[in-house]
Amino acid sequence: MSVTQTQRDETGRAAATKCWNCQAPAAATHFCAACGKIQPLPEGADYFVFFGLPEKLSLDSTQLEAQFHKLSWKLHPDNFVRAGDFERDLSLNRSSELNDAYRTLREPISRVEYLLLRRGLRKEGTTKQQAPPELLEEVFELNESLDQLREARAEGADLAALREPLDAAQKNFRQKLEEVDAELAGIAREWDFALDTAADEAKKQTLLARMNEVLNRRSYIRNLVAGVQKELAEA
Amino acid sequence: MAYSDKVIEHYNNPRNVGSLDKKDPNVGTGLVGAPECGDVMKLQMKVNPDTRIIEEAKFKTFGCGSAIASSSLATEWVKGKTVEEALAIKNTDIVRELSLPPVKIHCSVLAEDAIKAALSDWKKKQGDAEAKPAEPATAASH
Repeated sequence: MSVTQTQRDETGRAAATKCWNCQAPAAATHFCAACGKIQPLPEGADYFVFFGLPEKLSLDSTQLEAQFHKLSWKLHPDNFVRAGDFERDLSLNRSSELNDAYRTLREPISRVEYLLLRRGLRKEGTTKQQAPPELLEEVFELNESLDQLREARAEGADLAALREPLDAAQKNFRQKLEEVDAELAGIAREWDFALDTAADEAKKQTLLARMNEVLNRRSYIRNLVAGVQKELAEA
Repeated sequence: MAYSDKVIEHYNNPRNVGSLDKKDPNVGTGLVGAPECGDVMKLQMKVNPDTRIIEEAKFKTFGCGSAIASSSLATEWVKGKTVEEALAIKNTDIVRELSLPPVKIHCSVLAEDAIKAALSDWKKKQGDAEAKPAEPATAASH
């Protein structure tokens, strides 16, 4: 998360700055439209702005990849070997930002996480997330059942006999993960629709909160899937 | 990221792992979770209703080394303390004792929340007038 955390203005656009070289209002995100010089990332620009994308959750991954390659080539430090220190540093920073931006937006889950982070719902370490008690009960029980299989194995139980409950557990957890992913995808579509139809802020906040809640649930299930996978690999 | 020696020690030799009878009126159970990382922590305490001293404490945590160490340490600390003394334990005390790095502070918050939740459950069972929902601890980094 190396990109500046400055918020967008009300219109959702990054604040316009002047070109450091020719003082022209730098309209483009990466290069000055007037003199063509590489620019620092505009104040408040996020990863979506970086790729010239709206803040939507559905995106064409082929197009994103093509744009990533194009920008990698344009921002590459090799193009700035004869430029001054300032431009060389910009090229290095911008290339590293580009990699972060691409890695973050490429995966649907990290894309949602990033949106929530930008919108202030997932500040690392400060905002405490709450889990509903029923979910905790369920997750704890699922973990216990996995733990029992683990202990049985440690005590030398017949591996073939354990395989079956482990397989069943894996099927169960994977199904839960699919359900939660489908739910998240559904809300993501609602989010995109809300942006398309210029829905009010309250509606957007509701959708963000729902995505946050589903994402929290997802992290418990993801751990269970990883746990059972580890056991199966060793069984 | 390297774990501190104390975290590793608690991780390898966790104290008081297990469970107490949830239905026992003198046993308080706290079940808390950190959705950011998917950790779940259960902490149980058996309190003497006359002396209000915590006589037994057990935990079970599914999570990272720091979460396990934080809850293990919490059970060690609350044993022999009164309910009020146990409630005074702050996540920052755990951070200091285990030298937790900033990214693992939420594990200590989880342990503090678990103590509060367990004692709030105990108070509720006792019909204690001061019983109220556990106040979630706020993440303090120093």
